[in-house]
Amino acid sequence: MTPLHGYLFVSALLFAVGLAGALTRRNAILVLVGVELMLNAANLNFLAFWRYGPNPEALTGVMFVLFAIAVAAAEAAVGLALVIAIYRHYRSSNVDEAATMKG
Amino acid sequence: MLAWTIYISFAAAAAMFLLKPDSRQGARVLALVAALAGLAVGLAGALQHAGGGLVTIQKYPWVPTVGAEYYLAADGISLTLVILTGLAAVVGILFSWNVELRTREFFAFYLALIGGVYGVFLSFDLLLLFVFYEIAIVPKYFLIAIWGSTRREYAAMKLALYSFIGSAMVLAGLVAAYVVSGAQTFNLVELAKYPFPASFQNWAFPLVFVGFAILAGLWPFHTWAPTGHSAAPTAASMLLAGVVMKLGAYGCLRVAMTLFPEGLATWRNAIAALAVVGIVYGALVSLTQRDFKFVIGYSSVSHMGFVLLGLMTLSTIGLSGAVLQMFSHGVIAGLLFGVVGRMVYDREHTRDLDELQGRRLSRTMPFAAVTFVVAGLASMGLPGFSGFVAELKVLIGAWQTFPKLAVIAGVGIVLGVAYTLRAVQKAFFSGDQEDVPGAVHGGHAHGESAITLPEKIGAVVLIATTVLIGLYPKLLLDWIVPSFASPLFDGLRKGGLL
Amino acid sequence: MTNGDYYQLLKLLAPEWTVVGTVLAILFADLQFWRNRSVAWRSAGAASILSLGFAAAAGLLIWKRAVTADLLGGTLVLSPTSQYVKLALLGLAIVTAWLCTEGEFTKHVGEFVALIALATAGMMFLVSTENLLMVFVALELVSLSLYVMTAFNKRSPRSAEAALKYFLFGGMAAAFTLFGFSFLYGLTGSIHLPTIAAKISWHAGDPLTLVAIVLVVAGFGFKIAAVPFHLWAPDAYEGAPAPAAAFIASGSKVASFFVLGKLLSVGLPGVGGSGAWKAFSPGWLAVVAILATASMIFGNLAALAQSSLRRLLAYSAIAHAGYALLAIIGGSQPALLYYAITYAVTSVGIFGVVAVVENRTGNEDIAGLAGLRERSFLLSVALSVFVLSLAGVPPLAGFFGKFYAFAAAAKLGSSLGYWWLVALALGASCVSLFYYLQVLKQVWVAPVPEGQGKVAGGWVVSILLALLALAVLVTGAAPELLIRFLK
Repeated sequence: MTPLHGYLFVSALLFAVGLAGALTRRNAILVLVGVELMLNAANLNFLAFWRYGPNPEALTGVMFVLFAIAVAAAEAAVGLALVIAIYRHYRSSNVDEAATMKG
Repeated sequence: MLAWTIYISFAAAAAMFLLKPDSRQGARVLALVAALAGLAVGLAGALQHAGGGLVTIQKYPWVPTVGAEYYLAADGISLTLVILTGLAAVVGILFSWNVELRTREFFAFYLALIGGVYGVFLSFDLLLLFVFYEIAIVPKYFLIAIWGSTRREYAAMKLALYSFIGSAMVLAGLVAAYVVSGAQTFNLVELAKYPFPASFQNWAFPLVFVGFAILAGLWPFHTWAPTGHSAAPTAASMLLAGVVMKLGAYGCLRVAMTLFPEGLATWRNAIAALAVVGIVYGALVSLTQRDFKFVIGYSSVSHMGFVLLGLMTLSTIGLSGAVLQMFSHGVIAGLLFGVVGRMVYDREHTRDLDELQGRRLSRTMPFAAVTFVVAGLASMGLPGFSGFVAELKVLIGAWQTFPKLAVIAGVGIVLGVAYTLRAVQKAFFSGDQEDVPGAVHGGHAHGESAITLPEKIGAVVLIATTVLIGLYPKLLLDWIVPSFASPLFDGLRKGGLL
Repeated sequence: MTNGDYYQLLKLLAPEWTVVGTVLAILFADLQFWRNRSVAWRSAGAASILSLGFAAAAGLLIWKRAVTADLLGGTLVLSPTSQYVKLALLGLAIVTAWLCTEGEFTKHVGEFVALIALATAGMMFLVSTENLLMVFVALELVSLSLYVMTAFNKRSPRSAEAALKYFLFGGMAAAFTLFGFSFLYGLTGSIHLPTIAAKISWHAGDPLTLVAIVLVVAGFGFKIAAVPFHLWAPDAYEGAPAPAAAFIASGSKVASFFVLGKLLSVGLPGVGGSGAWKAFSPGWLAVVAILATASMIFGNLAALAQSSLRRLLAYSAIAHAGYALLAIIGGSQPALLYYAITYAVTSVGIFGVVAVVENRTGNEDIAGLAGLRERSFLLSVALSVFVLSLAGVPPLAGFFGKFYAFAAAAKLGSSLGYWWLVALALGASCVSLFYYLQVLKQVWVAPVPEGQGKVAGGWVVSILLALLALAVLVTGAAPELLIRFLK
């Protein structure tokens, strides 16, 4: 098991945990946490491939991760604003409560 | 020049909306002028081109990316059908002179349908033909859904969906042919020369043929026709049975049979059998109908069976008989629906034969009775009318190749006599001998008990046409028969079929 | 990297700078000058500024339309086609901005229109790149703007709910995309599409490649609302304010299709596999074929049951994503772009009509369209043109788009290997005619309900709708007019 494999394994695990959280959690904020976990799993992938890949001098992997972190932060900001919007109407941040549209 | 038939129709349809919303007479006059102009152009163009082979009318590049051209041309078959369309259009408008509800929209949709039909008959680029074929579907839906009668929304949707499915099948076949030929063109003349592999033709041919034949009323895909025809308003029924069903048969001949002769050879017997089933089935069911319009609707299925049988004979006599039957039935169906829809239904407000039985219509509307008798005789195939020549040629052609089927088709003719006479007798000539009081004419609140002048003109025009062609079929046959000698049908000749 | 390079970059990105400048101009004008004006005035003003700014950007694009460039490792790739697609995006955004003048769903119109412009900027960057990082960042810019726009109607709980569902789903999709990109980077050591293409074919049989493909396609499948990543679409279309829904349905679809097509054909050509009949082999062709099949079937069947016009449009959008995927399978970029652009124009037009009708009648159902022919002839004709185009009736743009896409798919592979897909697509189109005719039935056949007066939008919106309908008719009757720009 090379270090690369180790990192990939961890990131796959992170992704799975994040996905499970995103799909099963009822609180919208925790779903967002799951999404963030998935994004960070991808970031870990990038770093692992960069570090143990054939071309560690080119900073491609690190650069991607930096941008991805910034984007994830923006996404979290938007997401939390949306959670507040839901809360104003439904008095709850539960995704099951905010389910009036069907079909 | 012939292309103006298309343009005049569409331009008039659009111009309808420049009229004031409640103008009725203006709409009627505009429609009639446009239809007459179309007929005149059609006749002039036909007389100009008569006897020649394929004559190009317009040819411009249209979509170079896929190799489709705006290619309009005409040969004898196209010309015959263009004239039929012109006649049906004019007479249809005459029979619709009394439409009061949303008149200008009625004629707008009507003219758009006519324009699309002209386009199909004049297109020699397959994509263009398909486009016109599909353009015709939408006006049909609205004509039936808005101005129709029995179960009109259901009938309109059924007709639209069946037509659309048929055209989807045709499109599938056309795209397949386009891809397999690799020719980057949709020009019919070019594609007809391409030798498609036999295995390809064996499934492409039935796909395209059945796609068109749905609209032609091939049994068992005919079920939209009786429902649609009886739900449609008179003019639409005349067009539907008279012209639109011929669109399907024309497509079968022009596209399926020209492109895929080997596929035709494989499926020929099956289709001929289905055609004969349609002839007999249509006649038998027509015999049992209570609704007058359904009688005519099913008789249309029966008559179209003759067209399809004639197409399958693949002899000049049978094929020309089929095209002649297309023309003849178009005229006769127009007459029949005109009487049933306009003259009888609009006045009696019933199409039930048992109810009409007591009303002695031969006394109250003698003109209608005479017209219907004449139309009935023509429909039966009596000599002197166009139907006789057409059906005779088809039967002779069929006898040469499918003798057993020809016999069964002959039985169909006898049945035709039966259902026609039954309908004539029940609707017009039965009832008590005592004088029927005027109160039986419940629907005469409009005060129109006499047959109006537009109706009379329309009926006379159609009767004259069927008699003219019945006595002097050479007029049309001089155009039709040489068309089969053209290079388009080389594929059929090479296969030893024609 | 010398300063000269950056200056060249600036010149090439002039249209995008103009768009960003427009964002700032709108916000500035709204904050500084128009605080005391009515909402209607401010939305017209914001739309005007956006129109002016975008017209300037369009002018720059037309002036430099023949440019080709490939800078910074594929971060900026310009070609005439990309310039024309950007023109289309600008046009769609202008129409969307003017739709904001129909009805008052928010007091913060300046911010809303600014978000439209921001999303457009994101889309413009999205179509001018062959670099995975740029794709991701631009995609997120577009998505975040759209999420916020969806939630903008603060008085409507459905708007907030729609936005939350859209966001949560979209966030997951973005994560999938990023994860997929990380594997593509790992396998090939590059985030530049042509380099990836060169190196990925060595890994053609590797399961990791397939995982990467599936993840990336899943992420983009969300953006185009393909089954099974479509769950956000009906709610978003229903709950979002009309201009937001219009933009989601049009602009973001054009950009997403363009990028997906580019990703798959430029970035992953060797690992296509095959979805041909009886010749199935793993690869993105197979995955996309499955997505297309599911979308066409599900989208059309679900649309049959709808009574709400907006939800019907959402399911029809899902079905249309399926048809458009056929163009991607066929590998024909002109076909894909023609379909996407004409579909976007049609969508924006339909949402324009929906916006006007909802604003004047307050009714969102299909039945609310009853008798529209008497109440507004312009809207009836425009709606008929748009709906028939979606159904694929010639001579409208939708017919030719479908034809072109189906022909492209049919040509692929040997001996009509994808016949099953084309047959399915044709069958699905037939099914769709049913529910489209139901909509038109309400407009033209159904009796006019009592007490309903005339319905008319603002004059700018009416003119725009008429122009859009005309565009759909013209590009359908003479498709070459549009296609020659997209080759």
